[in-house]
Formats: sequence, C-alpha cells, structure tokens
Amino acid sequence: MSVLIFLIPLALILSIIGLLAFSWCLKNKQYDDLEGSSKRILFDDDKDQKK
Amino acid sequence: MTIKNNKCKHCEIILQSNQTDFCCLGCQNAYQIINQLGLNNYYNSRINNESNHNLKPDLKNNLLLDDFVEKNGVNHNISLLVQGLNCGACVWLIEKILNDDPRVINARINLTKKILNLSFLGKKTEINDILAIIEKIGYKLLPYDQEIINSEEKKYNDSLLKALAVSGFGSGNIMLFSFALWFCDANEMGIAMHQFFQFISALIGLPVLIYSSRIFFKSAYNSLINHRPNMDLPISLAIVLASIVSVYQAFKGGNHVYFDSALMLVFFLLIGKYLDMKARKKAFNIATQFTLLNRNYARIIDQENIKIIPIKNIAKGMIVMVSTGDKIVCDGIVIEGESEIDMSLINGETRLTKVSIGSEVYAGTINMFQPIKVKVNKQANQSMLAQIIELINNADHKKSSSILLAEKLSSYYTPLVHLIAFLTFILWYFIFKKSFDYSLMNATAVLIITCPCALALAIPIVNTITISGFINKKLLIKNGEAIEKVNQIKTIIFDKTGTLTNGAVNLIKIYLLDADKLIEVKESKKKYYLKIAASLTQNSNHPIAKAISTQSKEFYQNLHVIEEKSLGLSAKIAGNLIDHQANQNIEIKIGRADFCKINNANYYQQLLLELHNYQPVLTSFMKIGEEQIVMVFQDQIKNDAGDVIAKLKQQGKEIILLSGDQKNAVEIVANKLQINQFYYQKTVLEKAQFIESFIKQKKPFMMIGDGINDAPSLSLATVSISFNNASDLSKNIADVIINSNQLQPILDLFLGSKKAIKIIKQNLAIALIYNLIAIPFAIIGMIVPMIAAIAMSSSSLMVIINSIRINKFFNLDKNKCQF
Repeated sequence: MSVLIFLIPLALILSIIGLLAFSWCLKNKQYDDLEGSSKRILFDDDKDQKK
Repeated sequence: MTIKNNKCKHCEIILQSNQTDFCCLGCQNAYQIINQLGLNNYYNSRINNESNHNLKPDLKNNLLLDDFVEKNGVNHNISLLVQGLNCGACVWLIEKILNDDPRVINARINLTKKILNLSFLGKKTEINDILAIIEKIGYKLLPYDQEIINSEEKKYNDSLLKALAVSGFGSGNIMLFSFALWFCDANEMGIAMHQFFQFISALIGLPVLIYSSRIFFKSAYNSLINHRPNMDLPISLAIVLASIVSVYQAFKGGNHVYFDSALMLVFFLLIGKYLDMKARKKAFNIATQFTLLNRNYARIIDQENIKIIPIKNIAKGMIVMVSTGDKIVCDGIVIEGESEIDMSLINGETRLTKVSIGSEVYAGTINMFQPIKVKVNKQANQSMLAQIIELINNADHKKSSSILLAEKLSSYYTPLVHLIAFLTFILWYFIFKKSFDYSLMNATAVLIITCPCALALAIPIVNTITISGFINKKLLIKNGEAIEKVNQIKTIIFDKTGTLTNGAVNLIKIYLLDADKLIEVKESKKKYYLKIAASLTQNSNHPIAKAISTQSKEFYQNLHVIEEKSLGLSAKIAGNLIDHQANQNIEIKIGRADFCKINNANYYQQLLLELHNYQPVLTSFMKIGEEQIVMVFQDQIKNDAGDVIAKLKQQGKEIILLSGDQKNAVEIVANKLQINQFYYQKTVLEKAQFIESFIKQKKPFMMIGDGINDAPSLSLATVSISFNNASDLSKNIADVIINSNQLQPILDLFLGSKKAIKIIKQNLAIALIYNLIAIPFAIIGMIVPMIAAIAMSSSSLMVIINSIRINKFFNLDKNKCQF
C-alpha cells in the first residue's frame, strides 16, 4: 500500500496541471468565441496568417 | 456547391430575366475584388442560404470610422460589428483580406458576437482606407461601443466557468478516496489509512468548496440582507455545516466525512447556473446586435467640414446634419431646411409632423423628407429622451412585484428544513441521550439530504431549455423570470403604432383622377401602374418610394431618373415600352401634388369620403403623360394581428389598446380588431399613470410596445414585450423581444411558458417527494455519505430528464432546439 504515498500526490498534481491549463485558456479568451473556433479549424491555408 | 445561373454570383438574389451573373454593379465589383485577391474559395465554402442576400454592397455608403479608433501605444485599435457575417467562410475571407494588408497588425473576428477586432499601424484615418474594401464586398461595419460590452457580465461568466471547472476537478478527484471510504470502514483498512484518506479528502474538499461556493455564499448573504431568503441560503448552510462537521470528524477519526456529497452538490448546482447563463447570453447577444444596428453616430458640421462623431460626444451648440430617412439623435432647433418628421416613436402618431426653420425636434424621431440641419439646444442629460429615461429609473421601485415560485417555495422550505435538522439534534441528544457527535452527524445528514439540489436545478434547467427553444420561435427572453410571470397575465396592453400596425406606410389603393372624378384602378391595371412607379422609385430611400418599390417585382431598367429634393421623381420613358398610344417619349412624375401639377380641387374631399374606413392616410401622385394617378398609403394593421387578438381573447385575456395617436386613427384599429377598451392621445406620462393604476389594483399585466413613449410603461409591466425594430430604449427595457415583425410569437410565448411552468411544477414535486422519503432515513441515522451521493445524483438526473421533455413543444415544427 505504500505505493499510495507516491500515486496520490501524482494523481493530484496531474489534475491540478489540467486545471491550471484550463484557467490559462480561459484567461486567454479561448472560451469567448466557441462558435468561431469550431469553424476556424477548417480553414486550410492559414500558414501565412499572422498570429 | 455550384452557384446556379439564375442567382447573383455574389449575393444570391434571384436574377431578373435580363441580367446575367450579377444583380447589380456593386455585386459585380465585389466578385471581382475577391477574385483578384485569389480568394474565390470563399464562394465554394460558404453556406448558401438567404442570409447572403444581405451582402449586396451599398455603393453610396462611405463610412468614416476614425473617431471610433482608440490609441494604444503605437497601435490603433477598433471594434466593429460586422453585419452579414454568417459562417466560417465570411470569417476566413475578412481575416484573410485584412491580415494581408501591411498596415494591419492583427484582425480577428468573434463569430459568436459578430465583432471584428482590428489593430493597425499608422494614422487614425488609415482605418477608412483599410476597411473600405470590406464595405465594398458587402459586409456592413458598425462602430461597436465598448460600453455596451458589459464587462461585469463577462467577469461573472468567467468566474462561473472557473468555479465550475474547479468543482468538477474536486468532485472527480475526491471520488478516488470516497469510494475506498464508502466500502471499507476503519477496521478493514486500518485506522491510520482510514484517517489518512479522510485527511486527503479534506485537503481536496475544503479549498475547492471555499473557492467554488463563493457564488452561493454571496447570493445567500444578499438574500438575508434583503429579507428574502432564497434557495442559496439552505445550500450555503448545508455546505458550511457539512464541511465543519467533516473536518471535526476527520480529526477525531470518526466514521463519515461528507466532503464528497458537498462537492457533488456544488458541482451539479454550478452546471445548472452555467447552462442558465449560457441560454440568457445567447438571447442577450442577439438583442445587443439589434441595438447596434441603429446608428450610434451623427454627422456634425465643424468649421465647414462634415465630421462623424459618436452620439455621446454631441454637445449643446453643435450643428447636426440629418439626412433623409435618418434618426434625429438630439433635441434641437431646425436651422436649415424644411421637412416632415415621423414622431411615432415619441408620441405614437402616424401622421407626419411638418418642421421648418425654428421648429423644435426631438431625439428619437425620424426625418422623412428633406435633409435638415439641427442646432442642439439642450445638453444630452436634459433632452426629452433623458427625461423619459429618468421616468424609467424612478419606475423601478413602483414595478409590480410578483413573488416567484422559487422564492415562495424557499421562504417555506428553508425554515422548515432547518427546523427538522434542529429537532433531529434535540431528539438524539436530549431525548435519546446519544453522544453530541452522533446527534450532530444525524442533523448534518438531514441538512445534506434535504439540500435542494434537485430543487435548485428544477427551475433553471427548464428555463434554459425554454429560452433556447424560444429563440427558434423568434422570441428572445432577456429576463428568465418572464417565463414564469407570463402565466399570471390576465390583461394585455397593446400600443398601436408599430405594435399592432406595421409602423411603416403601405400602398393600399390606386385611383385614377379623371376630370374631377376618382375611379379606383382595377387589379389588372394596378400592376401596370405599379411597374412604372416602381421603376422610378427603386433607388430612392424615401419611405413612400420604398413602399412603392416593394409592391412591384418588375422594373423598367436604365431609366434616367431625376430626383428633385423633397418634391418628387421624374423620368422619361419610350411610349411604346409602356404600351402607351403615343410613340414619343413620355414624361412620368411621382411626388407631391404641386410637383405633378395636379390641380383638380375636388379630389381630396372625394378621397376622404371614399376612405372614411381607412383614415388617416398619406397620398402621393403620379402623372404619366396626361394621366393623373393618386396613390394612397397607410400604416396598416399587421396581417396576423386580428387572429392573435381573437385567440388571446378566447384564452380569456383582457385586451387594452393604449395609444398616443389621434382618436380616429386609434378607433379604426380598435374596431377592426374588436378591441373594446381603447385609449387615445395619451402622452408618455399619461401612459405610465394609466399603468400605475393597474399596479395599485395588483393585477399582473403584460405591456407590448415599441416606442420611446412606451418605455416607461414597459418598465412598469409585469412582463414587457418589444420588437426587434423598436426604439433602443424599449428594447433595452423589455423582458422579451420578438425577433420579427409579427405578433404570432406572443401566442407561442403563452403556450411555451404554460408548458414550462407545468414541467417546473412536476420537477418540484419530484424533488419534494424524494426529500419526503429521504428525511426519515436521515433522522434515524441511516443516510451515510454513499447513500446521500446516490440519492442526490438520481434525483437530479430525474429532474433533468423530465425537463428535457419540454423540447417536444419546441420541436413541433422541426425547429430543433439547440441545447
């Protein structure tokens, strides 16, 4: 059972990373235009588009 | 998809027989621009439907946007609402064009809000040049006033989403430990391990609970201050008590901790809140776009130059130019020009008001004829509009307050539940002399199991689905409470102009004026006259000209039409073309009587006699060679008004017509629609006073209106409805906006709301029955965390499944509800 000492923090750290990634997305306004993003992924020649 | 030959290649309007590929020069230009840029992929990938008709470019419109640019370091930024945007291809096209412009740093479109955010280098005025191409290909750009973007709302949305994510993270992870704790007790897994797991639960549970329940705590606190306890109060109390008891248990090495139950509760409730917010936002976004469609800028004369400025920058003493068909944006005095003004949004009058130099004009009215110049004579905050807004602000505390089901329920439910929990504690501790711990545990179990999870979901879930469904039925619900309140309505008060009538003139009759006699033109001949008239008026913006052009589908092309300011239109046409006997060119004139040289004095009396059923009317004249034609226009009753009023009456609703218009105009409409109660010539204040008498009688009522003069009355109503083409003010106030010109959606509103309230009541019953069953078990101490979790999820699930049934109503005509 001593493996739990290692696994529990690991599980928690991984999910906290996920949570942080989500709040980063939210802060970067990635949730502001869900409709547009779903269409944008289909543009095929945006290699020369500026960021 | 290939473009069919009979449609315009650019805007997809169906072409007339003599046109090939394009319907107008503007579309041809637009198509060429896009081709030259090598972007014709756009035509292949866009969605082909009617909304592309809006892409017909308006060549006259030359927008100057530099006053709306904001400086940010070296960059300039601007936000614009893009009209005509309807699919991903549009986004691709506009972003591609703009981002290829070397002056542009970044252009990005938000498709949900239909907003273009642009930052660019160089001078402010460059913006006009950069964006000219977008206007040329048919998208119309409007300055987007940052004030309209409600940053408070955005902050709330983001914090709600964050809280939802955090509580989801918490309730997911805590299950890893809860499962072990549910199925093994301290003897099986060892006391140390048992307590370790409880501590880990606390480690996850406590911070997550504190973070994600803030919304509930805040709302509960506010409800306590206002002495109106809401559902969030028992929720908050259950969360706080469960946390305290669980921490205490964890330290003491007790049997049960309730962090998982509390977290799951918060997670479910936040989902409900998030869905509710999303539906409201969708309706709100559409409503905001309507508000923006009305111009929020004005042309002023500044030292011989014409400058476009935002309305809010208009100050006393400025001279504002108002062109034909434009809204007057300030109170002022006419200093140049003569015209007629449509005051219907201010006072409900259909008849136009003549103005000349020295006349006073008000914000919100529309200039119908000749361009005028207006000198602003009042500060914005003293204008009539500002005074009406003040009336509305004062109306807030007068508004008839109807108690909502949720409030009523929680005012009984909350004290009752707390009483039961308290009695449970007394029962165990004082009567059965059990330990303090044991008694407290059971009392907490009661609080957790009765925590109105399903109860709190019961109403928002139904509201969410209903609001989404109503969008497809052309109803925008801005205020979710309206759905419930609609069911209490017994009385409906209608405004006349723009509500029961179209609010715009329509051609109703054509007469031939032959030697002092009026002869009504036969149906077959009508088409002939209309085609000629429409050929002259097709490019004019004048309201009467528009009323003519919309009546005819056929036009004579390539006419050289001369427009004479505020008098009329004239053109010459080959006689044989219009099967006139003469072979030479014939002069055609449309306009005022003096312009057409119509001087038969008796016609007007005769006309009034003929039209006594139709008053008040507007007349316009046409002369084809020597033929004299009188065209009669009227603001007509909406074609579904009679049907809707009759059906509402059938449902036992009391109908009242409350108008600012003249007696005969109101009387005719009331008689036609068989409305017995009608009131006329009511000013803004009188309308509001009339409404207040209703509130004193405690009668819930609905107000339907579109004008600025209706706005104070709308703000007082139990439920207020406005239209998408109404004045901004009434749209902002209304609880519900009808996204069309029809009245039919009102019936849908009643029907849908009735369904919704029925399902809400069923939901509440499900939740209450579940509580009734669970409470006795909690009291005797049989509800352990696992049972609580199962009961809570299953009752919530049942409520959600029951709520989805309401989709049936919205799917009736295959409009799939987007939920």
